[in-house]
Amino acid sequence: MKRIFIDAEKCDGCMSCTLACMNAHRKDAEGESIYTLDLTDPENQSRNFIKKNPKGGYIPLFCRHCDDPDCANACMSGALKKDLTTGLVKYDKEKCAGCYMCVMNCRYGIPQPDASLHYMVKCDFCEGKDGPSCVKACPKEAIYVKEV
Amino acid sequence: MSECTNCFSNRTCASADKPLEAFIRSLPMETSHHRTEGQSTKCGFGLQGVCCRLCANGPCRITPKAPRGICGADADTIVARNFLRAVAAGSGCYIHIVENTAKNLRDTALAKGKIRSEAALYRLAEELGIEGNDVYDLAVKVADQVLADLYKPEYVQMELIEKLAYSPRLEAWKKLGILPGGSKSEVFAGVVKCSTNLNSDPMDMLVDCLKLGISTGVYGLMLTNLLNDILLGEPEIRFAPVGLNVIDPDYINIMITGHQHSMFTYIQDRLLDEDVVEKAKAAGAKGFKLVGCTCVGQDLQLRGAHYTEIFDGHAGNNYTSEAILATGGIDGVLSEFNCTLPGIEPICDELMIKQICIDDVAKKKNAELIPFNFDTRKEDGDRIIDELIESYKNRRGKVKMNLLPEHGNKNTLTGVSEISLKKFLGDSWKPLIDLIVSGKIKGVAGVVGCSSVAYGHDTLTVALTKELIAKDIIVLSAGCSSGGIENCGLMTPEAAELAGPGLKEVCKTLGIPPVLNFGPCLAIGRLEMVATELAKEIGIDIPQLPLVLSAAQWLEEQALADGCFGLALGLPLHLGVPPFITGSKLVTKVLTEDMKELTGGQVIVDADAKSAADKLEAIILEKRSALNI
Amino acid sequence: MAKYIIIGVGPAGIMAAERIRAMESNAEITMISADEHVHSRCMLHKYLGHERDVKGINFVPEDFFERNQIRWVKGEKVTRVNPEEKTVEMECQAVLPYDKLLIATGAAFFIPPIEHFREASNVYGFRDFSDAEAMDRAVEGKKRVFIVGSGLVGLDAASALCERGYEVSIAEMAPRVMPLQTDEYAASVYQKAFENAGCKFYLGIGVTGSKVNENGEINSILLSDGTEVPCDVVLVAAGVRPKVDFLEGSGIKIGRGIEVNEYLETSIPDIYAAGDVNGLSGVWPDAMDQGKTAAMNMCGVKVEYEKPYPFKNTSNFFGITMLSIGKIDPVDEDAEVKVVFDRGTYKKAIVKEDRLQAILIQGDISNTGIYLKLIKDQIPLKGKDVFKLSFADFYGIDERTGAFSYQV
Repeated sequence: MKRIFIDAEKCDGCMSCTLACMNAHRKDAEGESIYTLDLTDPENQSRNFIKKNPKGGYIPLFCRHCDDPDCANACMSGALKKDLTTGLVKYDKEKCAGCYMCVMNCRYGIPQPDASLHYMVKCDFCEGKDGPSCVKACPKEAIYVKEV
Repeated sequence: MSECTNCFSNRTCASADKPLEAFIRSLPMETSHHRTEGQSTKCGFGLQGVCCRLCANGPCRITPKAPRGICGADADTIVARNFLRAVAAGSGCYIHIVENTAKNLRDTALAKGKIRSEAALYRLAEELGIEGNDVYDLAVKVADQVLADLYKPEYVQMELIEKLAYSPRLEAWKKLGILPGGSKSEVFAGVVKCSTNLNSDPMDMLVDCLKLGISTGVYGLMLTNLLNDILLGEPEIRFAPVGLNVIDPDYINIMITGHQHSMFTYIQDRLLDEDVVEKAKAAGAKGFKLVGCTCVGQDLQLRGAHYTEIFDGHAGNNYTSEAILATGGIDGVLSEFNCTLPGIEPICDELMIKQICIDDVAKKKNAELIPFNFDTRKEDGDRIIDELIESYKNRRGKVKMNLLPEHGNKNTLTGVSEISLKKFLGDSWKPLIDLIVSGKIKGVAGVVGCSSVAYGHDTLTVALTKELIAKDIIVLSAGCSSGGIENCGLMTPEAAELAGPGLKEVCKTLGIPPVLNFGPCLAIGRLEMVATELAKEIGIDIPQLPLVLSAAQWLEEQALADGCFGLALGLPLHLGVPPFITGSKLVTKVLTEDMKELTGGQVIVDADAKSAADKLEAIILEKRSALNI
Repeated sequence: MAKYIIIGVGPAGIMAAERIRAMESNAEITMISADEHVHSRCMLHKYLGHERDVKGINFVPEDFFERNQIRWVKGEKVTRVNPEEKTVEMECQAVLPYDKLLIATGAAFFIPPIEHFREASNVYGFRDFSDAEAMDRAVEGKKRVFIVGSGLVGLDAASALCERGYEVSIAEMAPRVMPLQTDEYAASVYQKAFENAGCKFYLGIGVTGSKVNENGEINSILLSDGTEVPCDVVLVAAGVRPKVDFLEGSGIKIGRGIEVNEYLETSIPDIYAAGDVNGLSGVWPDAMDQGKTAAMNMCGVKVEYEKPYPFKNTSNFFGITMLSIGKIDPVDEDAEVKVVFDRGTYKKAIVKEDRLQAILIQGDISNTGIYLKLIKDQIPLKGKDVFKLSFADFYGIDERTGAFSYQV
């Protein structure tokens, strides 16, 4: 499977990945111009997070699509499933009941409720988009995709 | 990339000018065109104008979970502050230009120096209601009045504007309370307003932008042209060569960059003096030539009828400057303002090209600073000339020529101004109005401003121009946009073939191209004068004209100040990329929608040539039908 | 070919079956369930609230059994397990042999011995799909529902019924709603939200009796403070008991639930128990985890079951989300209680000797998954502000696989 690797030392905290993620998943589908991405709309959520490294610098946190995913292991609706062919932890919004057991169970704190509080959001590896948007947006190559 | 011996990307941005694109791609040195690749990841917060670095708490950026900066400024405040800051800086640039131009006119007159167009002086003096004992006295008085206005405090309204602005516009501005005080003070006020924890009212700041726009337009643009016409001679319509072919390696070639043509007059004349030419010959050259680049080159080209001997032609716009130098044919760069790219420095180093800067506001790192001083112009001028000869001797033979003699064309129509155009039309605007009324010319589009490279060099400008002329919309161009358009051949009579049937017929009958070349960005002021003349002739206000503006590839803060002038005039203004405002719904709405109710203007953002042209055409058709034509 | 039988199609059973299939492609897997439909009991309220139909609360893909080549005997109760013969008997008299057996029957609601409760015809539980179906039929044409218990199950049902416009009354012995997950403040927030939706609460009050009508239906509830509350339907959400009645005489040792060792094996070899039936934990993720662990052990891969941390839950009522891990109230005497209100989010943490003991977050619960790990593994907080912690404070990454790990 492919995974987004992280070289935290290279991260400058510019949040280009965050904006790219918001833009790739924006609620209004009128193109993908970053100019028109509403930066104040809570519905435009990022699935990745830049946190400050307590030792200085930044740590970008991205979903691992874990081999043994805490989120899917906690999912009581069947919405989250590890896809054994792609290795991705896939999310079926139709099934999700918004119980947020996944939010509680991911030990890395990656999943979050969506703005409507009916669904959850997490990385979908920008499926169908020729690679994750965050990786494409990183000016420092602090994140990159690798086969594992 | 094993074949790449240099440490720069060999991928360059596209250019509308394909031979230039190929030339730049083949260069053994890095240019702006190469650097677009490495800078292709843009900061989204910056693009939307919601990154604030005004204080040590910052940078603050707006996100759904952080909708305000630490100080409490929201997206609207941050965007408006950033925008005002840019407009104020841009206005400052143009005001600096008109200030120096007025000073040069004054100094020249006091020294009873050469006044190249007395007619232009009398025309302007009459318009301003200024009288004088003789031509020099009159010139001093005109210059003094301009300077007096520029130096007024912010709370004292400038005076000449009452005479220069079209009266319906003036009334509209008065009603809106946007008549500016002293130009320099307005810049000062604007900069103060948008400093840390001062103004937070987006509307108040946008009002300031309009004031700055008017002061920039009427003084920085219109008056600079009119003063230059007096000092440097008036534009005359003629055909001239453009592109890299203008470089003649047999001469000592000086590339000029900047916006302040009047600073070059002395040296320009001196270079033709026999003793100087002899010096050049002694060094092995036939003499000196000025190679036009950026707006000062466009201005020289515009007035080229008076400078045929010394001026070789306009080689290219801002983002052609690196290529011009890379030909190896340039021996020195004489610069006084933007757009003198920092990127020319390593090229000048490598090709041993002497850089001399004559205005410290644009001091380049590698350049020797010999500030223009009217009193010492003779000594300074000779020193500059000697340095250039030295550079020529030093580098020729050592530096390989990489000329592109087939680039550009020889028959670009230049020298178009509000005066020369009217004269061309038979001393009347009526023929043009008739053509517009008949629909042969659907409307007028001013495609102006800069070129940029981040999304392609001149690509949108040229593509949009082609779309517009194909729709029978005549295009008037001023700024680096014209540099791109002319190098692509759209200002030659042959380009008529690309126009729609109506415009094509007009062009063929008159032997003119479908795009008229007004020269430098300063000449946006001339377009405004054409607009005023047309409106006056028809008896309407400017916003009613079937006239649109496009700064498709606006680049700088100056362009934003120009843009604000366009909005104050009540004109639709197209931009290829938004001016870092979209992070604020309020500012975006005011500029793109509400402005229509205030001044009649509106910003239209569209990066696509075809759909932008459609939108501009729709506006023109709307205005036509409102005029019952 | 090993024969596996799994009793129950809840999360433990389903996860076990899936895992066995993944490990042994040839195994013969049979699942037996009294349920006609695979369903998530955490979504029963969505069925009762008419938000979803029975398909909508299925937590496995529709082709789960075919795809995994599992024989599913549905709607059939297991009546007996014979460890000596290694067979199970079903109500239909059929007898099936097994090599390995997993009991994952879950738990059933419990009706307390209150006057008329056990024999009245309008008293319902809310545990399985059949309960929800029965409840849905029972409230048809009725107006007033009385719910005993304001735990998650009681409130789930209450929220569904409120949305459908029923008059809902809830009695709770504890002085606040969701007493296991809340403190006084968080409870009051939820209580208000439910009251705004039309619920009436009787808190700190027990149900002492009831009155029935001539049809044997309870028509009013009598409370310990003397109040009498009229009602049409009664729903009891006052705890569950493991479903172990069919194991009588099997010899399998039963305590609070089926007793299991660290491999989730019962007192009898080759018989395993996972999920609510073993009484280790009552929450969904643990049931799934147990199903998986049991399956691996059944397939011969010895895996110790990591002790569950059962005191955890999330809830989402009327757009108010809450996460609660550990014992929030009452608090140990020597523990430190930290409380903050952060932009509309209420946060309370119990910290003892630099270790997080419990946390309650009501409001924005984004990215709070680390707390369960911190509590479960008693990871030192390094003296940091517990509310500002993120995984970045414990960040570790495997350079080869890119997997995260906790650096403590």
